[in-house]
Amino acid sequence: MSTIQKFAASALSVIALSAMAASAANAASLEEIKKAGVIRIAVANEIPYGYVDPNGKALGAGPDVAKKLMETLGVGKIEWVTTNFSSLIPGLKADRFDMVAAEMAILPDRCKQVLFSEPNTSYGEGLLVAAGNPKDIHTYKDFASNPELKVAIMAGADQLEMMQKLGVPDANVVTIASNADAISTVGTGRADAYAATSLTASGLAEQGKNVEVAAKFTDPVVDGKAVRSWGGFTFASGNEELRDAVNGALADFKKTPEWSEIVTGYGFTEADVEGSNATNTKALCGGA
Amino acid sequence: MQWTDYLPSLMQGAWVTIQLTLYSTLLGAVAAFVFGIGKLSRNWALRGVSIAYIEVFRGTSLLVQLFWLYFALPLAGDALGLDLRLPPVLAGVLALGLNIGAYGAEVVRGAIQSVHSDQHEAARALNFSERQTLFGITIPQAIPEMMPSFGNLAVQNLKDTALVSLISLGDLTFRAEQIRNFTQESTTIYTMLLFMYFGMALVLTALMRLLERFVGRWRLAGN
Repeated sequence: MSTIQKFAASALSVIALSAMAASAANAASLEEIKKAGVIRIAVANEIPYGYVDPNGKALGAGPDVAKKLMETLGVGKIEWVTTNFSSLIPGLKADRFDMVAAEMAILPDRCKQVLFSEPNTSYGEGLLVAAGNPKDIHTYKDFASNPELKVAIMAGADQLEMMQKLGVPDANVVTIASNADAISTVGTGRADAYAATSLTASGLAEQGKNVEVAAKFTDPVVDGKAVRSWGGFTFASGNEELRDAVNGALADFKKTPEWSEIVTGYGFTEADVEGSNATNTKALCGGA
Repeated sequence: MQWTDYLPSLMQGAWVTIQLTLYSTLLGAVAAFVFGIGKLSRNWALRGVSIAYIEVFRGTSLLVQLFWLYFALPLAGDALGLDLRLPPVLAGVLALGLNIGAYGAEVVRGAIQSVHSDQHEAARALNFSERQTLFGITIPQAIPEMMPSFGNLAVQNLKDTALVSLISLGDLTFRAEQIRNFTQESTTIYTMLLFMYFGMALVLTALMRLLERFVGRWRLAGN
């Protein structure tokens, strides 16, 4: 190594180390957002939680509610950013966007990385299988009891943790990059099923010809409780101010019939609507 | 939806792809000459920097470079008290350009070294300075030798731009993924995508051929 190379190598490692030590790039405060008149909100192209249609219009339970909240907060313009689900948290940390409206499930591990609003929606689990369900799969536990079955999961999704807790071997888990890959993955037999939320699974089943939602599906039971997830808006850590403002607007908006119309319009059931108020973010982050 | 309905959105994406290809290829060409010549320099500092650049950018994955510039650099900058939040377009152009430039630098070096040593001796006999020899004699003869490889690299670069869809830049691949997510028409959309990249690659190849003839025109003069 020449001196220059040594210098370059050490400079690079200093930068890399300091990057690892830092928690998050400075996020824009509500004040700055209002001044700029525009907020950057990310979605992960998941129907019906948050997605962008071919004309570039953001739709879904997250974006539609977010639009209303931003009206209330006096932010005139929303710049929508589409990214992979697994890039949502890294993107927040790198200050690539101010907020995520992907109805990301509020989980203790994620709470350590980012801030969550109070729950906007709640949803249960589902399973997408090949038409006719040839492998006779009805619950997540089947992947632990039958080691020949392979299950697909989206990178970064919380179904992975569920599978691990249920004792499904890692070798039987196929990771895919996005929901758009699920139909071909299951339809062509690269995995026997795709584990996702019930709404995602039923949405995909409508779009694909050779797939269907597993009938007689029973919710996975992890740590003695049937799994239900609560999705909220996500912010960079340190941006409590924006989160609190969104929380205030969200609490008011959830009392209006307009909120439940938006949510049920995307296929959420009455149980999902009522369930969304059953707990709060503090309890969810605490692992309760 | 018909396949023609996808065209407006895909065309928007194609335009972003074309811009990215243009800017990153130009940046790559500049980097290729600077560091390719730098590697042949007798100044150890210039040589060291050039070798470090070439090896680092050629030896690491383009996708990782892209993610590093997009996700890691802002955090690193924050730790150092700087705002290094590059816009996605800039991060994309930088990663693509610097990566292709590292490959190009080796092409430049190889072509310069392939110029016959008689030429150097003749230049010295005529009392040319080193700089005059390099820019007046060696490089003009080396450039036509570089062109076939540069053509390859440019097409390679065009196809590599697809990676920027992963840092939320609305290029052709990104638009296609968006439509596919909505309609699940994988076969139609990916087939269209193949043809569109192929079409762009053909145009790019033709342009590089024109450039090749232009920079090699002095060779025909003697015939």
